[in-house]
Amino acid sequence: MTTLRWLGPIALCGLALPVFAHHSFAMFDYDHRITLTGTVTKFEWTNPHAYIELDVADANGGAKHYSIECASPNVLTRLGWKFNELKTGDKVTILVNPLKNGKLGGMMEKTTLPDGRTLGDGNPPGGRFDQ
Amino acid sequence: MRTIALMLSLAALPVLAQTQSKGNPPNLNGAWAVYRAGRGAAADPKLAAPAAGPMLLKSPYADAYKKRQAAEREADQRGEPLGNRGTLCIPYGMPQMMSAIYPLEILQTPGQITIITEAFSEVRRIYLDEPQAKMGEVAPGYYGHSVGHWDGDMLMVDTIGIKEEVLGFRSMPHSDQVRITERFHLAAPDVLHDQVTVEDPVTLEKPWTFTFAYRRTPNYHLLEYVCENNREYLDDNGVTRLKLQDH
Repeated sequence: MTTLRWLGPIALCGLALPVFAHHSFAMFDYDHRITLTGTVTKFEWTNPHAYIELDVADANGGAKHYSIECASPNVLTRLGWKFNELKTGDKVTILVNPLKNGKLGGMMEKTTLPDGRTLGDGNPPGGRFDQ
Repeated sequence: MRTIALMLSLAALPVLAQTQSKGNPPNLNGAWAVYRAGRGAAADPKLAAPAAGPMLLKSPYADAYKKRQAAEREADQRGEPLGNRGTLCIPYGMPQMMSAIYPLEILQTPGQITIITEAFSEVRRIYLDEPQAKMGEVAPGYYGHSVGHWDGDMLMVDTIGIKEEVLGFRSMPHSDQVRITERFHLAAPDVLHDQVTVEDPVTLEKPWTFTFAYRRTPNYHLLEYVCENNREYLDDNGVTRLKLQDH
């Protein structure tokens, strides 16, 4: 069952900048998050970013496919992720900052694993650190 | 008068004589991460990196820089961020690599100090007690040619030969005549400062100085970083796009 939950804009205070490695992340909407529950079709433990490919069932018995960008394996490792944390077929729930252009992709904020553990992406809520 | 004459004669000494190490160098071996308030070890404001000085660019570089910054802000607000060489997974080079977005490792061996960064697995080699090459004799690259010497507990490093295309720290534009001097010293037993001064007769009105601070992370093993799966690409307008997997 798909869960698609929009949260309201996140209040930001002070000068807020996204803290990332190799590119601006302004293509993602940090004012909104969606919660996607689905089935992992691939987990790519690669640089410059890890990716979770996810099939999310739709209301018509089909599935929508999302490409979800994560931090780098370097950052994820420091947050407790392992290279084999996800495998194809795993059921997960992912909090995502969606692409602003409406395409089916986004930036992972946190993932609830099949065993119930939750691992983050190193981003504070809203995807920004106050500087 | 005698003092001035002495100063003049010292200034005339060959470069080699000014680059011989003296004193007992401290141990900088090991892994280091950015020293930042609120993360990692409790940060002491006295040990944090001082604020960077002003970057004073010559015209027309100053105008172009302001325009680019404004265009980047505007593009970010539009949700269509402009990309740069980093977006394309091209390594940072000097001096940006020393910002250590991920930890770095320092290896002190006889006659050489080697710095390896985790991000992009960048490597720079600093040759100790060797004369610097002449400007224009070094093939321009990402790390240039670095020589250094110990002045007591301070490591002085001089770097030339940085390619114009290498993005400067905070995207500072530079020419192939850029010179980077660094002063490394331990601000505390486990806190290292790298005070960087960038000089460029073409783009800078005056030298620009900023400091990176690191904390020692004794048990940290650097991870590999190979940019093999870059899904970000730049479209015809230079906008960063994400390649989605069709399914």
